[in-house]
Amino acid sequence: MLTAVNGALVPPAKARVAGPPTMSVDAPLPHPDLVAAIPRLRRYARVLTGDSARADDLVQETLARGWEKRRLWAAGTDLRAWLFTIMHNVFVNQRALAARDAQNVSLDGDGEGGAAWQVPVRAPQQAHVELQEVLRELSRLPAEQREVLVLAAVEEMRYEEIAEVLSIPVGTVMSRLSRARAKLRRSMASESDPVTPLKIVR
Amino acid sequence: MSAISDDDIQAFADRQLPADRRAAVEQALAADPALAARVRDIERQNAWLRDGLDTLLAEPSPQRLVDAARMPHRPIRAWQWLAASSVAAIATLVLGFGGGWYWRDAQLEIAGMPTTFARQAAFTHALYASDVNRPVEMWAPEEKRLVTWLSKRLDYPLHAPDLNSVGYSLVGGRLVAGNERPTALFMYENGAKQRLTLQARKQPPGTEETAFRYAVEDGIGVYYWIDDRCAYALSGQLDKAQLLAIGRLVYAQLNTPETPK
Repeated sequence: MLTAVNGALVPPAKARVAGPPTMSVDAPLPHPDLVAAIPRLRRYARVLTGDSARADDLVQETLARGWEKRRLWAAGTDLRAWLFTIMHNVFVNQRALAARDAQNVSLDGDGEGGAAWQVPVRAPQQAHVELQEVLRELSRLPAEQREVLVLAAVEEMRYEEIAEVLSIPVGTVMSRLSRARAKLRRSMASESDPVTPLKIVR
Repeated sequence: MSAISDDDIQAFADRQLPADRRAAVEQALAADPALAARVRDIERQNAWLRDGLDTLLAEPSPQRLVDAARMPHRPIRAWQWLAASSVAAIATLVLGFGGGWYWRDAQLEIAGMPTTFARQAAFTHALYASDVNRPVEMWAPEEKRLVTWLSKRLDYPLHAPDLNSVGYSLVGGRLVAGNERPTALFMYENGAKQRLTLQARKQPPGTEETAFRYAVEDGIGVYYWIDDRCAYALSGQLDKAQLLAIGRLVYAQLNTPETPK
């Protein structure tokens, strides 16, 4: 079962079987509606990069590849998962390149996300206070954990789909998810203590 | 009562627990307040994340992204796309003479076995074979675990063919996303660092078998065939004869009961 909650993103099912046989090899396929996917791509990119300008660059690259590869998307399947897969791969490649440039940056370490993340200090509007809080908490998780957490909790994707998007076994999805949740729980618990920043924890 | 695992708790809170586990978990939750609190914790966390991040969905999309979604920005890509389209048009004309297979393609497509299988196999090959550092998720030394994992995900007993006799050794494998179903990928490499991938996907019941078929996608040769339960694609930048020879070897091994190791 695909997550069909977000109707706008799920393409019209099986439009292509209606065509005559001459449609089947390289004729125009129904276009995936990439425009409708932008808000979710931007959100996921924001979670991955932690910075809205870098997020939009990542979305742009993802859309360009999605456009190029649009014939590979199977009509009727979850476009969101397909695009997230592309975005994940672009993101991982960019990170690998960045790591090669700055050789002492660890790819997997827990502290990985911290430096690159920029969460605006001043919350511009009341409505965005919650968002800033969420982004700040997420910024404390390694990218690998952020990905699974957001795909499961926010995008409400099935674990099997997440495993496919990220090219990892389902067991890894579960363990990352569990670690992300435990870490977030601890982090939020200490956050609720107003003097936390000054307290020495033994 | 079977033990309740952390996975059960998460799946319950995420509403992904299979129906046959639900009763057991509900029972355990009723009996154990600590477990119930963990579920509530996860549910609260999920709601908090969703509420916060949903505000991002309301932001208007920047025009540059809308443009990118409609047409790629880079002029060279538009040019490539035009070139690809005219190749496709010619291919369509040529294939028009290929009648029988062509019709079969359409049939397969209607049956849910996409004609894009070869194209997708080539794309997947290109994506991972060019990856120097991490072409696979699990490496050859863990072949046994790899095969177990992939067999489980495909719900079909697989094994990795031995291609050492033609100079290719197993690099490893990974799970990739196929058309609506998981696909197993095994990668091989020869002494010249040339890579081959074998992809296997369990087919929907009722699909017809096919003989070997050959396609070239973006310079990558793909031999593919469908047997009674699985669709296979062997991809690599080899010429047709070499690929066919290896394809037949793979086919022969897949259809011979595995010799115990």
